[in-house]
Amino acid sequence: MGIPLLPDELMLMLKEQWPCRETQITQLAGLLSPTRSSPSTLTIYGPHATGKSDVLRSYLDAAKLPHAIVRCRECVTGRHLLERTTAAVHRSVQQEDDEDALNYDGRCENISALVVHLQRLLEKREKFVLVFDGVDKQRDAPPTLLPALARLGEFIPNLTTILIVQHPPPRFLHHAGIPHIQFPSYTRAQSIHILSQKPPDIFVEAPPAELDYDDETHQEDKAWLWPRFCAAVWDSLGESVARDLVSFRDVCYKLWQPFVVPIVKGDFGTRDFSRLLVNQRKLFQDESVLLDSIIAPVKAGPNAPPSSTTTHELPYYAKWLLIAAYLASYNPPRLDALYFMKSTERKRRKKGGGTARSGGRLSQKRSVPRHLLAPSAFTLDRVLAILHAILPHDLRTTIDIYAQIATLSGLKLLVRSGGIGSADPLEPGSKWKVGSVVRWENVQGLARSLKFDVVDYVAE
Amino acid sequence: MEYEKCYVYEPEGQGPAKRRQIEPQGLQASWKLRREAYQAAWRAQKAQIDAKLSDLNAYAVRSLTAFLDEAAQSPQSSAIPTAILSTGPEASSSTAVTEQLSRDQNAQKCRVFLSISASTGPNLKALLKAIIQKATSRQESPDDDDEDDEVTTRKKGAKLLNYDLQLLADYVSERQLEQVAIAVGDTEGFDSDLLSELVELLGYWCDRIPVVLLLSVATSAESLQQRLSRSAVRCLKGQMFDVAASAIQLEHALEAVVADHPTIWPGSDLIGLILERQSDYIQSIDSFTHAIQYTYMSHYSANALSILLIPSIKFANIPPDHFEALRNVDSFRQHCRGILDDNQASRVRELLDSDEKLFNLAADSIRDLRDRLNSMLPAMKLLQHIQDILHSYPVTPTMPFSKAYKLAMAGRLTQDSSFIRSMLLSVRKSQQHIIGQVLQAFNISSIPATFRSQAETLGKELIRLSASAAGENVQLRSEESVKNSTLRTTVVAQKVELSKQKATLSKRDESYTKLLRRLSDLLERYFGEALVDPKTCLFHELVVYDLRSPYRDTFTPRPRQAIERALATPHDYLDCDCCGPDAASRGKEMMLASSQPTTAVLYQLYLESGSLINVNDLRQAFLAVTAEDGRSEEENTALFQRALAELRSLGFVKGTRKRADHVAKVAWRGL
Repeated sequence: MGIPLLPDELMLMLKEQWPCRETQITQLAGLLSPTRSSPSTLTIYGPHATGKSDVLRSYLDAAKLPHAIVRCRECVTGRHLLERTTAAVHRSVQQEDDEDALNYDGRCENISALVVHLQRLLEKREKFVLVFDGVDKQRDAPPTLLPALARLGEFIPNLTTILIVQHPPPRFLHHAGIPHIQFPSYTRAQSIHILSQKPPDIFVEAPPAELDYDDETHQEDKAWLWPRFCAAVWDSLGESVARDLVSFRDVCYKLWQPFVVPIVKGDFGTRDFSRLLVNQRKLFQDESVLLDSIIAPVKAGPNAPPSSTTTHELPYYAKWLLIAAYLASYNPPRLDALYFMKSTERKRRKKGGGTARSGGRLSQKRSVPRHLLAPSAFTLDRVLAILHAILPHDLRTTIDIYAQIATLSGLKLLVRSGGIGSADPLEPGSKWKVGSVVRWENVQGLARSLKFDVVDYVAE
Repeated sequence: MEYEKCYVYEPEGQGPAKRRQIEPQGLQASWKLRREAYQAAWRAQKAQIDAKLSDLNAYAVRSLTAFLDEAAQSPQSSAIPTAILSTGPEASSSTAVTEQLSRDQNAQKCRVFLSISASTGPNLKALLKAIIQKATSRQESPDDDDEDDEVTTRKKGAKLLNYDLQLLADYVSERQLEQVAIAVGDTEGFDSDLLSELVELLGYWCDRIPVVLLLSVATSAESLQQRLSRSAVRCLKGQMFDVAASAIQLEHALEAVVADHPTIWPGSDLIGLILERQSDYIQSIDSFTHAIQYTYMSHYSANALSILLIPSIKFANIPPDHFEALRNVDSFRQHCRGILDDNQASRVRELLDSDEKLFNLAADSIRDLRDRLNSMLPAMKLLQHIQDILHSYPVTPTMPFSKAYKLAMAGRLTQDSSFIRSMLLSVRKSQQHIIGQVLQAFNISSIPATFRSQAETLGKELIRLSASAAGENVQLRSEESVKNSTLRTTVVAQKVELSKQKATLSKRDESYTKLLRRLSDLLERYFGEALVDPKTCLFHELVVYDLRSPYRDTFTPRPRQAIERALATPHDYLDCDCCGPDAASRGKEMMLASSQPTTAVLYQLYLESGSLINVNDLRQAFLAVTAEDGRSEEENTALFQRALAELRSLGFVKGTRKRADHVAKVAWRGL
């Protein structure tokens, strides 16, 4: 290459800051040089957590190119995106030269208006980079949004539009010849290399003074131990289920403190990696670290709050009603007479034994267990009738039982199911079904707490 | 008139010429006094319940406040600090907590507390709008000098869309707010996608807006997590919080109702009904408060004698016919019978003749009864306490206050009730440390001093005994303790005989047994004195309210049964001559008659048919019934159509797509 794209030391700094992304930085420098002309549209793609946005941002900052970045995931509607784009461009332009009008009416209803706004804002300008970050995940995007954004450069000569997407389908911009830069996911060696840049501490509290353990050795030890630990995590868990850098890093940090507990206790030396690994192999077999939870793990400590002890129970009849609704949802109505009529008390028993001929061949029709299927809808009178049938005592139907239905439907344990007029609460014979959280196990648990043998009433 | 949306009603005449008699007569004459008394009594009662409940919520509020403080101090991370408030199926408990919290939090200048619920908006845009609007409009009203700030909010130039969180971010940075807490009322009511999107979006913004979420869940945190998307789950850093379970709240509320010298005591039947309904159907503590309020209302308004409950009432203020009513009260009659049995007819004569004497008796006995009822409370407490202590002992289950109260008011905790018996029995078998606790439990200030001092002396003796026992390292044993007797088997003539053998007791053990007997006697005497059956007291009707049917009729109506009954047997409501019960006795077909309302006729035909009804068949049957009336067929068909339309609007039938000329039956009788 003839003229240098960026000063060498800048490139070096960038490459140091973003290890394992050298190719991509060079490509960016080639396509987005401040001095040379750039393509009007550029697509950057690659899976989640591969450094697309951050590398691009630090490149743009380093190259001192005037730019505006729009984070599409923060935009609620397509119009919101356009208005934020205008505002971002305006802000970026305004920072450069203050003589611009302070007040700018950013009303921007559609893409054509955006073009006009950009033309007006970017008049007499050398070069401007507009980045749409994660534009493929935009909510409520008009169908023409992506192709239109790809063509912005045709109307505004000095504008370069960069689209950051995850997995572009072929020809998604309806435009040929757009340069793409790929950000591939990090390999094993790369992931470990990146993580080993910042090894966490082994000793959270300073080790006892008599050990004669200074900070320097600590630095050395952890820099030695941490990459080996990361490699072990990668091989056991990361490779199969936490491949991307962010989740891999999370798993590593989650496991680190429990992993080094024997070192902190003094059972093992800091360099006893293989023995430590064997000792702590349970950690690498436990897959629960991979699951996110909305409840943060409680730090053990003297002032840790006691784990929740009170349980809030449903009222008595709400439980019965829920069981009745489950039965109504999962039993076919034609079998109701068999299962719920008081006179056929013994009929519901399974036919025992069977003859030699009955058991042998599997039936041709494959039947899925009913409780694995979706619940079917029922009318309100059916569930009330079942409720009366399964209750061990007589029920005096008052307004309270209807209030229970309202409570359960407020909790989405009973939901209105489709059909004409299902939105109208006064519609006679409207259909209901049990909510998706009501599962066979829950109903069994409820029935057990009521000493009710629900198995006898469920159709096979 | 149709083109006007509303109009002002101007009556033409000057009202009825004759002035209506609105002065209440008879027992109603005292209504004004009683109403004031009701208001005063209920106000005091309500304040007590409220104070008790807010005390209960205080723990949840305190821990949530601590959580919010901590979240405000700690630096913003990538995840939103989230408090997950598990509230149980009733929404009211969570709203009580969040309301209290919002009052505290909004008082702080640098914090915003707002709450949203599923009804706030159907989509993300509407939700964001509401959040931004609630957060930014909060501080405008209280002080006017904020007006200048409002202008500068717009200084960013470009006008933003009203669902743009940038507005909130600007507001936050301008006011230097350190926290925006968003309480989500009923997470179950939200569409799961919507909730996930909202959480994700707030997660993206949480580096600019210091957001804290308060999610209240009625079911469980796990089910909430299942409903959220994975990326939304990653945005949350939650911590669980609990509000007091409704059963505990109920206990405390009931205690508040009876604790501090109430004017009325709910009786055992009524309280049993209320408690049963609470556990069977509802868990909101509000409905309990309403029930108690209704008790007060109906007692003061329906029972004219409640005028005697007014603390400052004078003899002169009571109309004389009230005394006539007082003489008809059951307990008074029994009282008189008792006096007559003692051959003191002159005293009865006095009470029957002199209103003033009767008034004095009533005032005395009401005061006396109240004292007795008030002294029941510490006894119940002590009973409860002893039950708790003995709980490790398998014989006696723990007893909540509500049960103790119910039993006591029913007079089933008197001296020879089986409950007290079994409790005393297990006391007599107990070990020394349990006895020590029981004796300590006696130290309630509201227990009469004589009993307390006796318990104290017993306690001193116990200490002396156990000190001497501890010196020799032996346990004190009671004679009646199970451990003390051994079973002995002897074979007599090839039959096994079991015989119990008491171990020989040391002197110390004997004195311990004696001590236990004295304690059990003491308990028996105390409970016998304190826990009386209120139904045996004079004028208990005035102080103890124990009517179930008003409560039941008011709070648990049966709308469906009422409609079904009205349609099936219209005579019950119309009370007409044509189809009364005597018609049935004459052997006629009582059910179907053309004289009945046409809808009722059609409903009875409807009951006889299957789940799909051919409308023409129904019409033929209907015409056959109504033919006797002598109307033309067109008229009858019109009546039929109207009746069918009424059944449809009542929700009994609906059209079906299966067959064009049929209607589907959707309601069965008796459900």
